[in-house]
Amino acid sequence: MDWKVVAANYPLLLKGLLTSLQLTFVAIAFSLPLGCLIAIGRLSHRTWLSRACTAFVNVLRSNPLILILFWFYFLIPLITGQSVNDLTSIIIAFVVFFSVYFAEIVRSGIQSVGNRQIQAGLSTGLTYAQTMRFIVLPQAIRAMMPALITQCIVVFQGTTVVYVIGYSELLHTTSMIAERTVRPVEMYLAVAAIYFVVCYSASLLARRFEKGRA
Amino acid sequence: MPDPIVRVEDVGLRFDKFTALDGVSLSVETGQCIVICGPSGSGKSTLLRCINGLERFQAGEVFVDGVRVRDNTDLPKLRRGIGMVFQHFELYPHMTVLENITLAPIRAKGVPRAQAEKLARDYLERVGIADQADKYPGRLSGGQQQRAAIARALALEPKVMLFDEPTSALDPEMIAEVLYVMRDLARGGMTMLVVTHEMGFAREVADEVIFMDRGRVVERSGVKEFFTAPRADRTKEFLNKILVKF
Amino acid sequence: MQYEFDWGMLLRSPYFGWIVEGVLTTFHLALLSWVLALTLGIVIGIFRVTNSRALRVIGTAYVELFRNIPLIVQLFLWLYVAPQLLPTETRLWWNRLDYVPYWTAVIGISFYTASRVAEQIRSAILAIPPGQFKAALSTGLTTTQTYRFVIVPYALRIILPALTSEFLTIFKNTALALTIGVVEITATTRKIEAWSFRGIEAYTVASLTYAATTILVVVFMSWLERRYYIPGLIRREREAA
Repeated sequence: MDWKVVAANYPLLLKGLLTSLQLTFVAIAFSLPLGCLIAIGRLSHRTWLSRACTAFVNVLRSNPLILILFWFYFLIPLITGQSVNDLTSIIIAFVVFFSVYFAEIVRSGIQSVGNRQIQAGLSTGLTYAQTMRFIVLPQAIRAMMPALITQCIVVFQGTTVVYVIGYSELLHTTSMIAERTVRPVEMYLAVAAIYFVVCYSASLLARRFEKGRA
Repeated sequence: MPDPIVRVEDVGLRFDKFTALDGVSLSVETGQCIVICGPSGSGKSTLLRCINGLERFQAGEVFVDGVRVRDNTDLPKLRRGIGMVFQHFELYPHMTVLENITLAPIRAKGVPRAQAEKLARDYLERVGIADQADKYPGRLSGGQQQRAAIARALALEPKVMLFDEPTSALDPEMIAEVLYVMRDLARGGMTMLVVTHEMGFAREVADEVIFMDRGRVVERSGVKEFFTAPRADRTKEFLNKILVKF
Repeated sequence: MQYEFDWGMLLRSPYFGWIVEGVLTTFHLALLSWVLALTLGIVIGIFRVTNSRALRVIGTAYVELFRNIPLIVQLFLWLYVAPQLLPTETRLWWNRLDYVPYWTAVIGISFYTASRVAEQIRSAILAIPPGQFKAALSTGLTTTQTYRFVIVPYALRIILPALTSEFLTIFKNTALALTIGVVEITATTRKIEAWSFRGIEAYTVASLTYAATTILVVVFMSWLERRYYIPGLIRREREAA
């Protein structure tokens, strides 16, 4: 094995990692708020809204990310009637896909607080909005933190999927280098190590929140 | 004679097929302490929740201090005048005891923080746990938690207090400390509506006892009469079942 | 949006044959990987709760390693890196095999999923109240009988919902096998789209395959759960509310 190839291509790898991280952040920044809306929709007393949100969640959850990516990659130019750049399609697919997973986390977080705490808040004369703000959400967010961080790791790992449409994030960059230098063993081991370090550090953070709660 | 502070008239409430309340009427005068008992599922807790608008009823009327409770009532305002104590305390686990108590006075009544905190400490003193003010509820014993919850309700300076089985989630050695606080309140002239199976408390403190079964008020009578000469057969049966334990 | 639908094309040659092939590949890839993942996952999961410190370390290392590297990267490692570590003889034998990408996908997906299954097994074992074991032994049952009649039936009921969702995850994850050249249903429909530019029709087939399987599995599992449902166990919270 010859690890010089990794060192020599270090700037490209770093750029790829940054692209992957940016993609992760943008996807989370849009899908988390969208997920909150879907969660609130699912918990709504309006039956049609709750059913529509549930159906949306179930349809998307039953499909793999890669297929959703293909769908949007094909559909968006068709709907808009013009060619859009890859990044737009990727981001829309990621946001739609991951919003339903965030929705499920937010929903179970809110439900974990329980109706009795809401009743206690209301009984002291707080409004429903105040009860949500001061009593339900602070507890729900604490309860959700480990799952939210874990889901962010899943989003980061999910960015590898855009490899299939040739967008130059970390994995695709690596595969290009591996092909050019004919050093797949070193390159793929190196990239696996990079992914491991990022994901493992984040999972330690998630575990700290889990412990903090107990 | 002044208007009763709480007046419930012919209230009915159904969940799907189950009738929770079936034409319940009662009234509570200022300063009275009334105990409600009855088998589980008889509608006692539901009745309490109808009084402060936590539960919507389909028939009848409820008035609290002259205000009619219905969909378009200003419920937060109504509830600021009613203290409620729950079976499982329902303290907010992410706030200290002091924050638990001051939240509603500050946010719902607009009391300045310093004043709310002073008030909170006064009430904690009154329920005997002034030294626990800055702890989180999880660090307190069950009895202390329930006393903190009583202080939280009292801090609203309510006209009436509702107690929903306040001792049934407590270990036996902690029941006494909570009942002591409640007894003290009743003697101080607080208007109280208490759902409980603590017949000793009823006998000693209550002005009247109401017996409910299957969503109906079966019997309402003075304490002495209730325990010595219950009128309805179902009351006798119930008393036999629960008093035989003691 | 200008698009003329032609759903009939899905039934025409060569597309229909491809679709059948793709659906079958997805299914046997998922099932084969699932059997392996379940077996390995149970072993690793038990490792993580044994009294032996060495086994616990091995179990933990396995889980952390396999769940913190993206599945596609793992597939690439199995395809490009792992064969290089084999002795020459074995490597030549492996490379001569038919369907190397397929077997690589089976290995990659099952090793990855085993780490997730192991975590579910571990938390199910930890969820069994320790008193149950003592209670069973105190009535004169042997250790084996205790496992057979008390612990395993209890643990199974706890773990069934989690394993259902893991199965659905492995089923969706088979789509990633297309990155190493396995032509399962997603790859098939991608190919149909490329040939015919009928993306909507093609991807609908793939989406329906996943959705229909999910519905079937969920319906079957909830029937199973209801059948073996014990009042007071698992759904306790909902009843208390």
